[in-house]
Amino acid sequence: MMSGSPIQNIPVSSRDAPASIYVAPSLAAARDALSEYGPVGAPLAGGTWIMRSPIRHEPLRTHYVAIGRIAELTAVQIESDAIEIGAAVTHAALAAALDDLPEFAGLAAAAGGSANPAIRAMATIGGNLATSEFFAADCVPALLCLDAAVEISGRNDHERIGLADFLAVRSTLAPGRLVTRIILPRARRKTAHVRLPLRRAGDYPVAIVSLSVSVDAANRVQAARIAVGSVEPSARRWPRLEAALIGHPLDAAAAARRAAELADEFVGRDSVDAPAWYRVSVLPGLVRRAVIAALGS
Amino acid sequence: MGFNLTVNGDRLTSAADPATPLVDILREEMHLTGAKPVCREGFCGACLVLLDGEPTPSCLLPAALADGREIRTVEGLAPQGTLNCIQAALEDSDAVQCGMCFPGMVVSLTHLLTTRPDATRDDILMALTGNICRCTGYERIVEATLLALATA
Ligand SMILES: Cc1cc2nc3c(=O)[nH]c(=O)nc-3n(C[C@H](O)[C@@H](O)[C@H](O)COP(=O)(O)OP(=O)(O)OC[C@H]3O[C@@H](n4cnc5c(N)ncnc54)[C@H](O)[C@@H]3O)c2cc1C
Ligand code: FES
Ligand code: FES
Repeated sequence: MMSGSPIQNIPVSSRDAPASIYVAPSLAAARDALSEYGPVGAPLAGGTWIMRSPIRHEPLRTHYVAIGRIAELTAVQIESDAIEIGAAVTHAALAAALDDLPEFAGLAAAAGGSANPAIRAMATIGGNLATSEFFAADCVPALLCLDAAVEISGRNDHERIGLADFLAVRSTLAPGRLVTRIILPRARRKTAHVRLPLRRAGDYPVAIVSLSVSVDAANRVQAARIAVGSVEPSARRWPRLEAALIGHPLDAAAAARRAAELADEFVGRDSVDAPAWYRVSVLPGLVRRAVIAALGS
Repeated sequence: MGFNLTVNGDRLTSAADPATPLVDILREEMHLTGAKPVCREGFCGACLVLLDGEPTPSCLLPAALADGREIRTVEGLAPQGTLNCIQAALEDSDAVQCGMCFPGMVVSLTHLLTTRPDATRDDILMALTGNICRCTGYERIVEATLLALATA
């Protein structure tokens, strides 16, 4: 990122150019091509991670299958019991589709507040979930709070797994397979997503807290899901804090106090833009902000 | 195999490798040096062009995905040398310093002016999240945009 890595201007000729980018017209065509290419092929969605490979000194794959124009993968279907998000839906399109669904306010904030406007119009939710080397992904913690399932397809089959399980296997996804949909059950809940970038916007977040809570008529927490992103290499839920909130009135200051008591379970990651301890130390403040946002949603 | 691009209304072909970023084709093959490859990461916005009317970082767009698309660079925003509304306002407001960021600023703000004629100061700041200026402190750019909105 801008504040972290040296700026390099790599001339065209020294790029490790791939042999091909196939723009798939349909999901079937994409699956066939990926399966034929096997380990030397990969999906190319928004390209916002892949096109920066030279800056990270990573070679490009030999073959890419561009999936961004496939109708089945670019739709958001809103049903009464669930919503289904195509893997190639961009962050901007997702934020727009969720605009008047308050139960998804957290995910809308994640998709609509990441990066910058031009990147949000390119980067996809599938790419966000699939990139295991990208630690600051916004949609991942937001989706962990929503009980998301991920549909993975190969040439002749598809399977559906929970997001946490997907995160554990994503770096070893079998060649030829791709994420096709993200499925979210609908429920009455308050959700929020707060992030701390180094500048007000545009940068990667130092830390992210996403939250989903259901409260009873007396404002006591009945169910809670809290996920932390960008602090460790992969986003994950915070079960001890979730348990600590249950049965108590939803209160920002109290939640922040419990977060401060429990934050030592995170081992922050060190990087040029922020030291490990700092990422952990901002968590109580972000929990407080997340609860305030959820109460307002 | 070549790629067909429409750049500022001209139909052009390129024989670049499919992953070549559009910014390199524009600059090296088409000699349109307005878009600048500054960070090559999508952070700075100096390479922004309009792709089918939408601001897009040309450093992250591979040739294969530019194929068949309508591209407008900053050079195409002042046809016959007449400055467009935001360009004129930036000049009148003395907003430009070194100028490195301005091709991208003009692309973002031209899009904002055409799509959001009711934009507020906050909308302008949000629209410029992906345009980094190392010189000006942004204030004159925002003032110029408000002026352009008021006079458009
Ligand atoms: C300047 C900048 C700032 C950014 N800031 C943020 C931020 O703050 N928060 C944030 O969340 N994101 C941010 N991003 C976006 C970031 O690049 C990724 O999170 C992005 O979402 C990846 O999506 P993509 O569609 O561009 O993926 P691509 O670059 O196309 O692909 C990335 C990887 O995912 C794989 N892949 C893509 N789609 C699939 C699929 N359907 N199934 C299986 N594998 C797949 C590809 O093969 C590749 O390995 C930023 C990007 C830029 C350029
Ligand atoms: S060079 Fe493309 S965004 Fe900086
Ligand atoms: S005027 Fe110099 S970078 Fe903006």
